[in-house]
Amino acid sequence: MSTEAEWSRLSARMLLVHPVHEVLRQIPVLVGTVVLGSATGNPMYAVAVLVVTVGIGLARWFTTSYRIGAGEVQLRRGILQRKVLSLPRNRIRSVSTDARLLHRLLGLTVVRVSTGQEAKGDAAFALDAVVAAEAPRLRAVLLAESLAPDVEQAQTSGRLLARWQPSWLRYSPLSFTGLAMIAAAIGLAYQLGAGAALQDSRIEQSGAAVADRWGVAVTVAAATVVVLVASVILSVLQSLLSYANLDLRRDADVLHLRHGLLRVREHTFDMRRLRGGTLREPLLVRLFGGARLDAVMTGVDGAGEASMLLPPCPKSTAETVLAELIARPDAVSGELRRHGPAATRRRWTRALALPAVAAVALLIAPAPNWAPVAWALLTVCCALLAFDRSRSLGHRVGDGWLVARTGSLQRRRDCVAAPGIIGWTVRQTLMQRRAGVATLIAATAAGVKHYQVIDVPVDSAWTIAAEASPWVAGSKWAADFG
Amino acid sequence: MIPWAVLALAQLVWFVVDHRTWWLHAVAAVATAVGAVVFVVVVPLWRFRVHRWDVSPDAVYTRSGWLVQERRIAPISRVQTVDTERGPLDRLFGLANVTVTTASSAGAVRIVALDSDVADRVVAQLTDIAAIGGEDAT
Repeated sequence: MSTEAEWSRLSARMLLVHPVHEVLRQIPVLVGTVVLGSATGNPMYAVAVLVVTVGIGLARWFTTSYRIGAGEVQLRRGILQRKVLSLPRNRIRSVSTDARLLHRLLGLTVVRVSTGQEAKGDAAFALDAVVAAEAPRLRAVLLAESLAPDVEQAQTSGRLLARWQPSWLRYSPLSFTGLAMIAAAIGLAYQLGAGAALQDSRIEQSGAAVADRWGVAVTVAAATVVVLVASVILSVLQSLLSYANLDLRRDADVLHLRHGLLRVREHTFDMRRLRGGTLREPLLVRLFGGARLDAVMTGVDGAGEASMLLPPCPKSTAETVLAELIARPDAVSGELRRHGPAATRRRWTRALALPAVAAVALLIAPAPNWAPVAWALLTVCCALLAFDRSRSLGHRVGDGWLVARTGSLQRRRDCVAAPGIIGWTVRQTLMQRRAGVATLIAATAAGVKHYQVIDVPVDSAWTIAAEASPWVAGSKWAADFG
Repeated sequence: MIPWAVLALAQLVWFVVDHRTWWLHAVAAVATAVGAVVFVVVVPLWRFRVHRWDVSPDAVYTRSGWLVQERRIAPISRVQTVDTERGPLDRLFGLANVTVTTASSAGAVRIVALDSDVADRVVAQLTDIAAIGGEDAT
């Protein structure tokens, strides 16, 4: 416990931000009180609730304080329920900053400290918010314990690894973010009672009139086109707003990632904790020759935003950056060893199971005329999927690296440093035992914690493990099959 | 065994409350009986044939499962904690489960249903050889 450090407050400008955020968060309640007020003819309800909400927002600033001691950092907060979060400074793994629009307008930024443990909601250590100019100093101080020699350099520019280009936008139209946003917006509108408002309104009547004139099929098709176009526009916009200005730099042992147009996010990664990287190629991105890059790092959540190094970008860029980071070009783009005929057969049987069931159903039950056409389409899609999945499957091991590639719709190539692997599992289902294959799972403390090599021939599973981790070689299981 | 007993009891209650569709009751009863026999007699024997464990000076090994079988290995040098756990049923039969965790949430090795004294010996042995708190690859 350090007593020498003073408790300090967050930026006073948060007195403006907190009430606004609080009001935004309580919008449903406020709408409710306005409705209640107009129903009872007493608008004071809404005013009272608004005052209380703003008051809570103001109180947040007065009740939150932090201090950076010699051994640990502490955050004290809570209005009714006081809470003190303490992090030992030598446990700090990464510091990221994040500035939403309102924060940026006021020159503020949120500083998040992560230890790599799962921390959500109240347990997350976030200084929301400090003056933006203060952030680099705070970052340096917070990381001083774990990254001592590099902090001074961290302020200098470093070597540029990748920079966002407008052409990267071509990978974004075909993502589902736009559709998801539209669905969310419609869902929200219905919750707020838009469905009831639409009933018998002029919009609905004119819609019905249009459907009458053009026929239902045309109307549905037109609506689909409109939704698709909107989704493409939204996806591109979203991608532009969150990734534009992305720039990835490296200073010796520190990796800096900064991106965002309106909401600017910055991540700092400790290179000494990097255990590899994952090249992800979702089908629709792969068709255009793109890929995304995730870091495999201890202390950084492997899935999602936290570990992202590059958004969808040209595959060559992603590969170059990864090769640069792990200094092993052969692991990134080298030839992979195939898994053999049994694995290929399993991909085909699994993909064609659904069409087979559908065919049986078609034969017994009476079906409409278009059913066989739909069935043929489904079969072709499944066959293509099986072909692509079996083609993707491969692994590569040696020189201290394990590389595994799987998947079609979500193809991924995991490159994991073998010294980081701290356990192996060989799993066989009943069907895998009959086919003579097994799934090899490497356990590590980094990234998504387990990396799979699917359907390798059972007798080579332990050989692969032994090749990556020498301590497996003399072991009992390896001897069983060796 | 306990879930099957509960299921059988539920069927009995169903039969008492509503005994019009007798054939449905018969099918359900046969299914329950077959399931109970498989899970009470066949599966434990099968599991017993598959399950193996060993602690060598360098690593902990387990083999487990019945339909889905797993062999797992974790190096002792990377062991972080060794836990023993005894549920009420385990205590009734004098058994214990030992869980050996490493820094990876996917790498924990669990040895189930050991005799209590064997479990104690394993834990003592593991804590002896494992340099707990040393290099754990985080």
